[in-house]
Amino acid sequence: MKKISINQCGILMVLCIFANKILLMPSLMYHQTSADSIFVLLVLFLLDFIMLPIFIKLKKVYKDDKFYDVLKAKIGVFFTKLIYIALLIFFMFKCLLVFSITYVYFKQQIYQEEFIFLALIAFLPVINHAIFVGVRSFSRTIELFFWIVIAGFIFCLVISLFTPISMPLFFTSNSSEFFSSMYNHVFAFGDFIFFFLIMDRIDFNKGKTKNLYFYSLFAMFLVLILFFLFYAKYQSTAFMHNNALADLLVFSVQFNAIGRLDIIAMLTIMFITLFQIEIFSYAFCDCFMSIFPLNKTFSVVIFDILFLLLYYVFIGKYETMVASSLFWLPYLAVFVNYLIPIIVIFLLLRLKNNINDS
Amino acid sequence: MDKSMKRRVRVILKSPMIIVFIIILLFFTPYAIYSPGESRNKGVVTAIGIDKIEDELEVSLLTFIPTANQSYQEKSSVISGKGDSVAEAVYNAQIAMGRTIGLAHAKTTIVNEALLEEDITSTVDYLSRVASLPENTVFVCTNKSAKEMLQQSQNLVNDLGLKLEQIIAYNANNLYVTDTSLEAFYKGYYSHVKSSIIGYLEVEDDLYINEDNAEVSGAESVSGGQSEGLQGSSNSSSGNGDAKGKHIVNQGQAMLIKEGKKVAILDVEQLNGINLLNPKSINQIIEIDGVEKEGEVYSMQFRIKNKKVLISTTFENGYPIYMAQLILGVKLVEVGGEHDELRLNTEFSEITDEISAKIERAVKQQFTSSINILKENNTDVIGIGRKFFQDDRKSFKKFIDDIGGIENADKFINYVTFKLNIVTQSD
Repeated sequence: MKKISINQCGILMVLCIFANKILLMPSLMYHQTSADSIFVLLVLFLLDFIMLPIFIKLKKVYKDDKFYDVLKAKIGVFFTKLIYIALLIFFMFKCLLVFSITYVYFKQQIYQEEFIFLALIAFLPVINHAIFVGVRSFSRTIELFFWIVIAGFIFCLVISLFTPISMPLFFTSNSSEFFSSMYNHVFAFGDFIFFFLIMDRIDFNKGKTKNLYFYSLFAMFLVLILFFLFYAKYQSTAFMHNNALADLLVFSVQFNAIGRLDIIAMLTIMFITLFQIEIFSYAFCDCFMSIFPLNKTFSVVIFDILFLLLYYVFIGKYETMVASSLFWLPYLAVFVNYLIPIIVIFLLLRLKNNINDS
Repeated sequence: MDKSMKRRVRVILKSPMIIVFIIILLFFTPYAIYSPGESRNKGVVTAIGIDKIEDELEVSLLTFIPTANQSYQEKSSVISGKGDSVAEAVYNAQIAMGRTIGLAHAKTTIVNEALLEEDITSTVDYLSRVASLPENTVFVCTNKSAKEMLQQSQNLVNDLGLKLEQIIAYNANNLYVTDTSLEAFYKGYYSHVKSSIIGYLEVEDDLYINEDNAEVSGAESVSGGQSEGLQGSSNSSSGNGDAKGKHIVNQGQAMLIKEGKKVAILDVEQLNGINLLNPKSINQIIEIDGVEKEGEVYSMQFRIKNKKVLISTTFENGYPIYMAQLILGVKLVEVGGEHDELRLNTEFSEITDEISAKIERAVKQQFTSSINILKENNTDVIGIGRKFFQDDRKSFKKFIDDIGGIENADKFINYVTFKLNIVTQSD
């Protein structure tokens, strides 16, 4: 099996960390905890970051084993499948959320009422193709565009410095608001879970594991800077701006004259979204194939049908999707984001005890 | 076709992405070819005006309709619709236009003064929900009718090549020294002080200009002076005739808004007073009288060329004290009174103790009068409370609790004692 290098793994981590955090989330968070949302973000990042050494340790212990097989051997098929079903739902909704938010953003950008048909025609074949060709191929594609995407991201951040900004007011929320904000937005996190799924497809001999720390800290730093600049620029109206990265570029009188400078934000967001959906849809299909003894084509067809059904029948409206991500999906996210690392820690400790005993 | 070519074609056709790409091409190419141009069914709105007429709202849209022509002149017209709500009025205007409207290029939003008698946010709520409307659209209030202002703005463009947003941008940069966009309005509205400043322009009849200003007939002139601003041609080229003989008057005024309602109209002097502590706000004129030089009495006008502002805040006996040191670099720009010769670069340019004292008095008077307006209306648009909060959060919070909690945070400015120390230097 062709594996991805540590650098490619790090790049995927950056994209997972960006997922659902760079457009709508700063605005949603501001509603609850105003500028203190930066600290909420920081705490949630820290909780996520703890998973990285756990993942590296697990990978080093079970070098070429599939995560599914590791779990199956330790906790049995039933519980493993239960966890994988949770992961399946988790990644499907992550896909839907990323798509919904970006779709609404592009709808605003091209001044169209509805173009879902066009959006699906543009996205779905590429996503399906990515699932078919596998993690190594789409990682290499992402690697090719990675620094262009990062340059676009940093450009948006830098441009905001040329517009009036002032220090956001911190420490205005109480602990109850702080923790409820943490809980409400936990679904947008759990960025390292995907890597447990593909742990057998990462080659730790290609590159140094410390690069993974570098990539993930780099992505977290960029998101934190985005939050800070966004709040510094908009302050009390931050809740009215739903596309943080793009809104840093627009609404500045200085740059209005330079045509549509926001095209840079649009391109950056387009690439980031596409890659994120590829990652999450791949994760969905991987879980599906582990749960059911079916092949990849079947899993892709199921993904497409479920994606369309959920989008039209259950969600249909962007507001419903966003509300779901705030109210009932956090239950699932808490289970997935924090239960899996706990199980892994338990497995690692048990392994250590076994070695000591022997 | 040789064998290798055939093999290559076969490999390409085997790739599902190529097939998908061909299907997309087959599907969308005819669709794109036969789709009518957007200009056929879209009217591009460049400014929006909202008026309250009795119980109804009238929305006027300054619309640019893209048409092919041989000149570079844009064809714009004002199209209106009435309704109980802005949404309904916009819908009716759309019917009148026979096209769907695109608000993405709407750079100016004008409301008439009558609308600001009540909370304006309920009126502009529609606009804040239209995602395509740029929120840096300049937000302006006018004395009578937004529709008339839009009609006159076309004349400004035709006669002077001057756009409405350029006038407001000038005011914003030089007088308000703050952004006066819809975004800035909301920023103030949703802050603890619940106050904002927006631009204010008047539309007056020719008669008004006749009375106050002797120079009238030149329809295509820009009148200076305190009371008159801009004149477009009085022959409306596109309006329905309502706006004939009217002119947009820019006196550099701004409207002070509290909780979405009008509380005061600020003139240039008051705006200068408000911006005194803003280091970006320069070029204002300070006038002093009764300066004695060589036995003669002169009046003098100084321009603020540069400014340094040092601010500190403290709580003395629990009460907030705002201390500011203002170092003004001024330049003598005009000398009034009887003097025979024009003397430059000589003793007139020297800032004597007497001149310094007079400037200090004039500036303090201006500042006090402006601050009093803000205090009377509980409208801290210059961020006094914010400064205290940043400097001493604990004492500020305690003080806010003492005056009734966060709901009364906007009243904080009333309790602040200002201590202003002014140092005048020659530029």
